[in-house]
Amino acid sequence: MSAQDIILSSGTSELTPAAQVRRKVAKMTKLFDATKCNGCKACQVACSEWNDLRAPIGEFSGSYQNPADLSSECWTLMKFHEFKKNDKMHWQFTHTACMHCDDPACLTACSTKGAIVQRSNGTVDFDSDKCTGCGYCVSACPFNIPRLDPIDQKAYKCTMCADRTQIGLEPACVKTCITGALRFGTREDMLFYADLRVKQLKEKGYANAGLYNPEGVGGTGMVMILHDINQPESYGLPADPKTSLPVKLWQDVVKPLGAVGIIATAAVAIAHRITVGRNIVEEDEPAAYDHSHDDNQKSDKE
Amino acid sequence: MHKNERILRHTLFDRLCHWFIVATGLVTFLTGFAFFFPSFQWLGGIAGTPQMARFVHPIAGLMMCLPLMLMLVRYYHHNKWEKNDLKWMLAIKDVMFENEDKIPAIGHYNPGQKVLFRTFVVTSIVLTVTGFMMWQPYFAPYFEASTIEWAILLHAICAVIMLIFVMVHFWMATWVEGSVAGMLYGTVSRAWCKKHHPNMLNDPELKIIKQEKH
Repeated sequence: MSAQDIILSSGTSELTPAAQVRRKVAKMTKLFDATKCNGCKACQVACSEWNDLRAPIGEFSGSYQNPADLSSECWTLMKFHEFKKNDKMHWQFTHTACMHCDDPACLTACSTKGAIVQRSNGTVDFDSDKCTGCGYCVSACPFNIPRLDPIDQKAYKCTMCADRTQIGLEPACVKTCITGALRFGTREDMLFYADLRVKQLKEKGYANAGLYNPEGVGGTGMVMILHDINQPESYGLPADPKTSLPVKLWQDVVKPLGAVGIIATAAVAIAHRITVGRNIVEEDEPAAYDHSHDDNQKSDKE
Repeated sequence: MHKNERILRHTLFDRLCHWFIVATGLVTFLTGFAFFFPSFQWLGGIAGTPQMARFVHPIAGLMMCLPLMLMLVRYYHHNKWEKNDLKWMLAIKDVMFENEDKIPAIGHYNPGQKVLFRTFVVTSIVLTVTGFMMWQPYFAPYFEASTIEWAILLHAICAVIMLIFVMVHFWMATWVEGSVAGMLYGTVSRAWCKKHHPNMLNDPELKIIKQEKH
């Protein structure tokens, strides 16, 4: 994958953007259809196999969910949610991985240039070699996806199998899905398919069926078809994910104001020093006082 | 008659403390600046690599803030707000332009320094507390992500404020000649006191050091 393929990079600004020529490349999107998922975890295993990840074996805690949570060695996790509605228990499965936001909060918050990038196909990717382990992406992500590794202190998450997609393959999780709950294709195709599927679900009686593609983060590179779009929390998804207020204030207000403040202070200090001159105690340093302009004194000395 | 006597302004302990803070503060601010403005990542190069900068920053920061707080406690009695201080503040223009006869007499510290003192008290405490909250991997995992985000914002705001005040501190200390020597070697001349901190000479605990003529 060439460097020209990176269209958004952490640590850059509008003044010095990343390469833009491939901005118009078709965005790719992963579609997770929760109404078709049977919770088999094949996606989770495929992710672990393709990416050579082996999360430590956890403990049974009364749920099929294992490991208990995402980690630096578990980038895709099948989450099992028990959800009661109208006295009826719903058992809902969520293919949990990076959402590949169009406007990624992790990238905005990152402290290091180029450690988080967005590729022309929309994938948000981490460059572990550049990562310093500050954890800003971990706290900024509205989906709580990135994790720091306890040993190397670097952040990890789903790469959308960037090493597969660059040669035209679908991500490993999509490749392995047996029910057709996971699909991968151009954003246009996926949104079109999702539209048809949602209509179909509504005809079948799921009046609230809908597509989870939150606007607050500019839309996501993984969109989800849910039984009830009004209750994304029942799938462990935030209702209105977006780059948080403190991250925005920090990046868009404190940084420019800070820069102006620092430069202004330096400018005033230097102007003051040049204008007013030295502040010397005359009795202590008579020699430092410049009397050369005083003609009388000069002649006296002579 | 006063030629050979010097007036003690900073004890040896305070001077060592001050320059230790300067050294650790330099590392802290250079590495911190690199995280705040990623374009200036090279400033963090003082620590070697960006990863090392990230590791060193909180430790250097603590080594800056803890002695600073100790120093602030020791200097507290010099920094109480006094009656004349408002007058001095209103005459700030005369101070800056060295219109000496118009500057109200002040003591060990002038009100500008007292403002600096208060700023350092607030920022060093906030920086330490928020710094712990965002310190990966040791302390940050104990806090909610949403809490850490506010901690990061506060940390950045306080760091910028502190940096600006450090710049003003440097500007004033180098402008008022004799101050840096005072902080290095501890003493200033009687004439210096008379000019910059006249009421300091009325302090009953004033320590005068007699020097032998070389």
